[in-house]
Amino acid sequence: MLERILTEDFRKKLEYTFKDIKNQQDKRTEEEFAKDKRRIMNDLLTQIDCYPKNPQIDEDFLVAAIDGSGTPDLTTLDDIRVHLLSSATIVLSTGTRTGRLLEPLDRPVIEAELGEQPLLELHWHTGVRGDAKKKLAESLEQIYPINDISEVVLPFFIDHTNGSISSLKDLVKSVEYHKYVPDLKSMEGLISREQLLTNPIVHDELRVVMEYAAARNILTSKLRPKYLLLDGALSIFLHFVRKYPSMPSGFILRELCQLARKNGVTLAAVSKNHTIPFAHRIAKMANEKFGDGMKWFCLLPSKHEPGGGLHIYEDRTYIPPVLAVPYLFSFSSDNRPSRIDFDRVWWLENIFVPNDPETTRENEIRLFSELEFISRDARYYGYPVALALAHEACRVSYEDVRLARAIAKDVYHELGYDPKRINPLRDDLGV
Amino acid sequence: MTLKKDELGELYGKVGVGNQTLLGIMGNNRDVSVGEIFLIYSCRDGHERVFFFRVLGLENYLRQIDDMAQIASTLMVEGDSYLSGIERNMLLYVAGKMLGYAEKDDGTWKFHSPRRLPDHLADVYRPRPGTSDSNVQQMLEDQIGGEIYVGDLQIGEDSLDVPIMIPTKFFPMHLGIFGSTGSGKSNLMMVLIKSMIDTNLAINQGQLNDACKVSAFCIDPHDEFAKGTDTYGIQDIVEMMDATTRQQVLGNFYYLTTSLSATPREIQRYGKDIRIRWDEILPRDLYSIMEFSPPMASFIDAVYGSARENWISDILSMDGDPHGTPVGTLRAVQRRLRFLERSPIFEEQCSSVLDHIFEAMETGRILVVNTSLMSDREQFLLTTIVTRTLSDLRRALKSSGTLGDFDRQAEIRLPRPFFSRIKAKARSFYGASGNNDSSPTKDPRDLPVILITVEEAPSILNPELMRGQSVFKDISRQGRKFHIGLLVVSQQVSVLDNVILSQMNTEINLRLGNEKEIRACIENASVNISGFEEEFHVMSRGEAIVTASYRELPLPVKIPKFDKIFKKDKERYASKGTKKKKEKHVI
Repeated sequence: MLERILTEDFRKKLEYTFKDIKNQQDKRTEEEFAKDKRRIMNDLLTQIDCYPKNPQIDEDFLVAAIDGSGTPDLTTLDDIRVHLLSSATIVLSTGTRTGRLLEPLDRPVIEAELGEQPLLELHWHTGVRGDAKKKLAESLEQIYPINDISEVVLPFFIDHTNGSISSLKDLVKSVEYHKYVPDLKSMEGLISREQLLTNPIVHDELRVVMEYAAARNILTSKLRPKYLLLDGALSIFLHFVRKYPSMPSGFILRELCQLARKNGVTLAAVSKNHTIPFAHRIAKMANEKFGDGMKWFCLLPSKHEPGGGLHIYEDRTYIPPVLAVPYLFSFSSDNRPSRIDFDRVWWLENIFVPNDPETTRENEIRLFSELEFISRDARYYGYPVALALAHEACRVSYEDVRLARAIAKDVYHELGYDPKRINPLRDDLGV
Repeated sequence: MTLKKDELGELYGKVGVGNQTLLGIMGNNRDVSVGEIFLIYSCRDGHERVFFFRVLGLENYLRQIDDMAQIASTLMVEGDSYLSGIERNMLLYVAGKMLGYAEKDDGTWKFHSPRRLPDHLADVYRPRPGTSDSNVQQMLEDQIGGEIYVGDLQIGEDSLDVPIMIPTKFFPMHLGIFGSTGSGKSNLMMVLIKSMIDTNLAINQGQLNDACKVSAFCIDPHDEFAKGTDTYGIQDIVEMMDATTRQQVLGNFYYLTTSLSATPREIQRYGKDIRIRWDEILPRDLYSIMEFSPPMASFIDAVYGSARENWISDILSMDGDPHGTPVGTLRAVQRRLRFLERSPIFEEQCSSVLDHIFEAMETGRILVVNTSLMSDREQFLLTTIVTRTLSDLRRALKSSGTLGDFDRQAEIRLPRPFFSRIKAKARSFYGASGNNDSSPTKDPRDLPVILITVEEAPSILNPELMRGQSVFKDISRQGRKFHIGLLVVSQQVSVLDNVILSQMNTEINLRLGNEKEIRACIENASVNISGFEEEFHVMSRGEAIVTASYRELPLPVKIPKFDKIFKKDKERYASKGTKKKKEKHVI
C-alpha cells in the first residue's frame, strides 16, 4: 500500500478532491454566506468581556463536566460483540477566593456523591433479529435506571410542544402522538430506529446514555454546580415520521435539561468537531472586527429568533439542533473556533429577552465571560478545562483496551471456557 | 512488623521505576536537594527491609502533562492562564542510587549491598533530624561504627545525629583525604586529631577496652591546628586538661616546629624544635623524595657502604671520588644534598627530636608538626625519615622473637647513633615481659597504631618516585603488618601512584576541583560510587563522602566545625579538681 500512497497519482487524486470540494463549496455556499455576512458582522459576532488575571468572583462556583469513551469490540464471541463503556465526571471549583484556580474537588468527595470514577460498563448483544434492540434496552435501563418512564418521555413533549402536552393524558389525547403512546411506555419502545441498530450506533447510544446517567447523578447530587458541560452537541435525532426522538437518549437529554433548569444548573455541550459551515470565515471576520487574539462568540440563530436562521445552514437539518441554541466561539486565537449548545428553553428563560437585543447581548457576554474564564488552563487553553480533564479521565486508550482484553481472556479461561475462542479470528490467520 | 514507619521520617513518595542499582521515585513537591538520603520501607515476601536511597538528580514532574515546554510557553504567552489542580499534580521525580538495605538478623540490623529491589510502589520516607536519628543509627550500626569520629550522617543539606566513625583497626590500611583548597581539609584534620585524642583518653580512662591507642604524626602545613582556624584549636584541648591527664595523653609535648622561640608562649610550653641529625638520614630517605639517576644512586650507596652514618658529610666534603665516580655525578649529588646544609632542621650535630618522636609514637600520642616554615623538600624528608625510622623499628620487631633478636635486627636497619640512643626505650616498649635479651617481643599489632600524615601527597607519592626505593611504597604494602598507616592528604587523586591508591581502604572525599579529579576519585573509591558525579559538583565546604572497603555503604558526612565539637566536649577534658569554685562577689 505504501508504494501506492507515495506515488504522484495519489497526490493528484487528493488534489482533485480538494479542488472539487472548494469549487462546489464556493459555488453553493459563498452566495449564501454573502447573504449572512452583514448580519454576522453587525449583530451576531460579539467580543467577550474577559475576566482579569486572577479575578475574585463574588461567589465562586463549581463547574462539572462529563465525558465518555469505550470500544464496541472488547471481545468477539461468534456473532456477539462485547462493548466496553466508560464515563468520567470532573468537578472543579473556580477557587478565585482561595487562589487555587479551577481546583478539582477531591476524589473522595466526588465518589461519595457520584460513585466510583471513572465508571465502567459492559454490554453485549447477538445478531439474532430483535436481540440488539432488546439487549440495548436492557443495558440502557441498567445504565439509566427509570422508575417511571413518563418522567423521561414527557419533558421532550412538554418542551417541544411549548407546554401544550404536559402529561400522559395530553399525549393520549394528542392527534399527532396518541398512536405511538404504547411505544412510549418502555425503554425498548423508545428505540424506534431498530433497522439501524448497527454495532457503532448501539455503542454510541450506550455511551451517550452513560454520560447522561453521570449528568443525572450530578444534577441529583448535593454538589449543585453552576455549569454542567457535556462533550458534543445537544442534538436530538427525531424519527422522521413520528416526530419524536428516535432513540431513548433524545428523551433522556430533555429530562436532563428539565432537571438542570429546575436545579439552576446551566447545561451545555461543547464540541470541538462541529459541523458549522464557514466557521473559519466567521473567525476571520471576528479577527477583522475585534483584532487579532480577541475572544469572541457568535450566536447561530434558528428560524425562531428575530431575523430568522442563517442562510449558510439552511439545508442542514440539525443546525441548530432541536430545542438547542448553538454558538460558535473562540477563546484562543491559536485554536479554530468551537461550538457550544445550550438548552433552548433555558436560553429563552435566562439569556434571551424579547425585543431587547441589548439586554440579551449583556446576558450572553456575562455567560461567555464565565465560560472563557473556566477555559484558561494552560494545557487546553481556550477549551473548558473541566471537559478536558473529564476527557483525560474517561479515555480508554489502546493500551487500556489491550489490557482489558487480556483480563477478559483470563476470566474466560477461569470460567472453564476455551480462551482461544475469545481471541480475534484474524489472530488465527495471522492477519 | 517491628518497625514503626513514622519513625523513619516523613512519608515522601512512592517507588516508581528502576532496578536494584538506580531507582526513580515519584515524590511530593518538596524542597529536596541532591545528596539527600531517603528510606524505602519494603516488605516483599514478608521480609521487612529498609532500603537506603541517595538522591542524585531531580526533575519537576507535572502529572498529566506530556509537553512541559508547551505549557510553559502558554503560561508565558497567555498571561491569564492557569493550571487546574496544579498543586496536586506538581510532583518531583527523584532519581538516585540504591545504597543498600538494612534487614534484621537475630534482632540486630545488618546492612547489605543493593542486591534486592524494594516492593512495588513501596513507601518512601524522608528522614527528619530529631525523628529518624535513632532508627537510622541502629540500621547502619555495622556501617558507621568505630572509634574515630569524622562527622554526622548527612541527608542533603541537613545532618542526622548519627555519628560516622572510622575503626582504628583499619588505620594501618591507610586513609585518604581528598579535597580541593577550601573544601575543609584543615578542619577535618583537627576533628580527626581531637577524636584521636578522645580515643586515647577513653582508653586511658578504661572506657574503650577493645580499641588500641592511636599515634599520629600530623603535618600542619599552615600552622592552624594548634591555635585553630576559628576560635579554638588543639591547644585549647591541651589547656583544658589537668596535668596528669595531659601527661598521660599528650606527654610533655605535642607540638613540633621549626623555630620554637617564634611560637606563642602558651604553645611553646608543649612544643619542641624539629631537629634531625644528618646521621639519622639514610640514602633511601632521599630516594623517596627526589629523583637520582642510577649512577648517582650507585655512588651514594657506595659511599654509604663505607662511611655509614657519615655519608652525607663525606659526600659534601669530597672534591673528587677516590673510587673514580665522574665528577659530574659527584657534583650532581652534592647539589641535591646541599639543601641539608642550608636547612635549619637538618643539622650535622644537634640534639635530635627523632628520639622524642619515636617515644611519642610508641606511647599513643598525637604530634602536630608545624611545617609552615619548611620548604617542601624539608617537609617531605622529615616525613620520610620519621616513617622509615618507625617502620624499620616495627619491622625489626616483627622479625624478632626476643629482645636480643630485636637489637640485632634494628642495628642492621637503623643508623647506629640513633638506635643506641633509643635502644633502652625501644626494649621497654617492645618487650612483652621482662627486659632480658631472651624476653619475648610484642606483636606490633599490640602496639599503638601509628598514622603518618603525608601532606601534598602527589609530590612524594607520584608514580616516578614510587617506582624506586620509596619508603612509602613499602609502608603502603606492608604497613598493616607493622601497625603503621599513612594518612594521605591531597588535592588531587589522579596524580597519585596506583600502588598507594589500591592499598588505601578508607577515603574521605571532600569537594574536588574538577571533572578529572572527580572521575579519579570515583574510580579509586573503595566502594562503588559511580553516579555520584553530580553530588561532587554540589558539595559544600565540610561535606564529604566516606568510602571504605570494609563497608558496603558510601557515607555522606557533614563534618562539624572543630569549635562546635570542642565546645560540646570541652568539659570532658577538665578533671573535677581543676574546676574553680564560684565565689560570691561581696563588696
